[in-house]
Amino acid sequence: MTIDWWTLGLQTVNLLILIWILARYLFRPVARIIAERQAATHAALDEARAAREEAEAARATAKTETAEIARIRAELLSRAQEDAKHERAHLLETARAEAEKARAETRAELARLREAQKEMVAEEAGALAADIAGRLVGRLPDTVKIDGFMDGLVGAVSELPEATRTGIGAAGPVSLRAARALTGDERTVLETRLADLLGRTVTLEIEEAPELIAGLELDARHAIVRNHFRADLDRIKSELANHD
Amino acid sequence: MTDNLVPIVSILSAALAVGFGAIGPALGEGRAVAAAMDAIARQPEAAGTLSRTLFVGLAMIETMAIYTLVIALLVLFANPFV
Amino acid sequence: MDSPLTLETLFNIGPVPISAPVVVSWVIILALGLFAWLATRRLSLTPSKTQTVLELLATTVDGQIRDTMNRDPAPFRALIGTIFLFVLVANWTSLIPAVEPPTAHLETDAALALVVFVATIAYGIANRGIKGYLATFAEPSWVMIPLNLVEQITRTFSLIVRLFGNVMSGVFVVGIVLSLAGLFVPIPLMALDLLTGAVQAYIFAVLATVFIGAAAGETSGDAPSEKENKPS
Repeated sequence: MTIDWWTLGLQTVNLLILIWILARYLFRPVARIIAERQAATHAALDEARAAREEAEAARATAKTETAEIARIRAELLSRAQEDAKHERAHLLETARAEAEKARAETRAELARLREAQKEMVAEEAGALAADIAGRLVGRLPDTVKIDGFMDGLVGAVSELPEATRTGIGAAGPVSLRAARALTGDERTVLETRLADLLGRTVTLEIEEAPELIAGLELDARHAIVRNHFRADLDRIKSELANHD
Repeated sequence: MTDNLVPIVSILSAALAVGFGAIGPALGEGRAVAAAMDAIARQPEAAGTLSRTLFVGLAMIETMAIYTLVIALLVLFANPFV
Repeated sequence: MDSPLTLETLFNIGPVPISAPVVVSWVIILALGLFAWLATRRLSLTPSKTQTVLELLATTVDGQIRDTMNRDPAPFRALIGTIFLFVLVANWTSLIPAVEPPTAHLETDAALALVVFVATIAYGIANRGIKGYLATFAEPSWVMIPLNLVEQITRTFSLIVRLFGNVMSGVFVVGIVLSLAGLFVPIPLMALDLLTGAVQAYIFAVLATVFIGAAAGETSGDAPSEKENKPS
């Protein structure tokens, strides 16, 4: 077995040359272009990723904006509801107040009406009482209308204060209202009794006043001495009216 | 006869070398192919990888037979005793 | 029949005898170089068909190297790829009539194996330093030193003889069948030769990768160099 050493050496050199050529002209450019494409792909991927991130960021912004809008809306809504509630409460309050006022007014009106009615009733009762009294007195003898009250009148005059009493009949005749025209006897009796009481002569100026029903009314200068049914009835009526 | 003894023995030994040297790789290749067929039957989706590996393995096994062939050729053509 | 182990000198250039495999290798180098130069003259990011094939080749070589060595394939790409391409093209020259593949002669295979052997040592020293590379022979213990040394030689011879035997036997068988049977009978055998040639080119490149990778020290897992942690 022989080995051709020249051929071996030449083939080795050939192989080295081929390795250099292929490395220079084949593998290095191909590897470079592959790396370039990879870089380009990576760049594109990065770009796409960046774009996606941007889009996501925009979406997030939009979402936050939407949330903000929703929040504002909710706030507005709640505020409007609050306002409406306030308004309603206010309206209710006003209505209630108005109703209250109207009721109070009505009540006042009612009270007034009732008062008026009562007054009217009292009036009617007074009138009825006067009527009744008048009729009752009418059944009695006429003297009763005066005689029974003469003592009362004199008593009332005697109870007047001194200053007032001295003023009676000092300047002219004393006006006296009576339920009926006094007879001459009665007039003198009254004049004498008053003169006894006052210590001086008194002339009476009689005025007939049937509305007194029965009794006398002496008009002193500063005081009126009432002693008749009408006054009594009036007093009773006013007491009744004031009672409730 | 004695002059021809070395060529005769050389030829005989070359034939013997190739003949016996082929037995082992043949058995080995048979086993390898059987195993590969079994594996492909079990996993048909791996047939590509299996057959590629099988070819390489067969070539490696075949190399053993090739060695004996080289020995035989050496004996026949480059016999140092001729 | 001519011995497949001998070489005829075709002509002489000065004192240098030039044999047929050298001439065929020159033609192959010229063809490959021209093709590479033409194909890579204008590369673009949108590849043509040729560029796609070249890129597929480069990517496949890269993938093989990465799978075997677990490291960046860039320093080994040209060596491994060239070995693969040269062996493949040389094996397939058997298709051309009257041309014997250069790999069918021991000298070419020896040159290839020699390059691989030297590259193994060079990459080992470059990656581990001289001491570190020599220390790999004492793995896993110093008892293994003779065995490791012998392995270096035997695996190189195995590399030579495997390629030589396969290609040469193919040529030999085709020649015998051609001389016995006639014109068209060897065609199936030639097709088988194509397959064998491709497989042998692949095996040669893979084994070269394994040897260089073992020497460069990724698989030993020992004495980490600064290149080992480089991201691939």
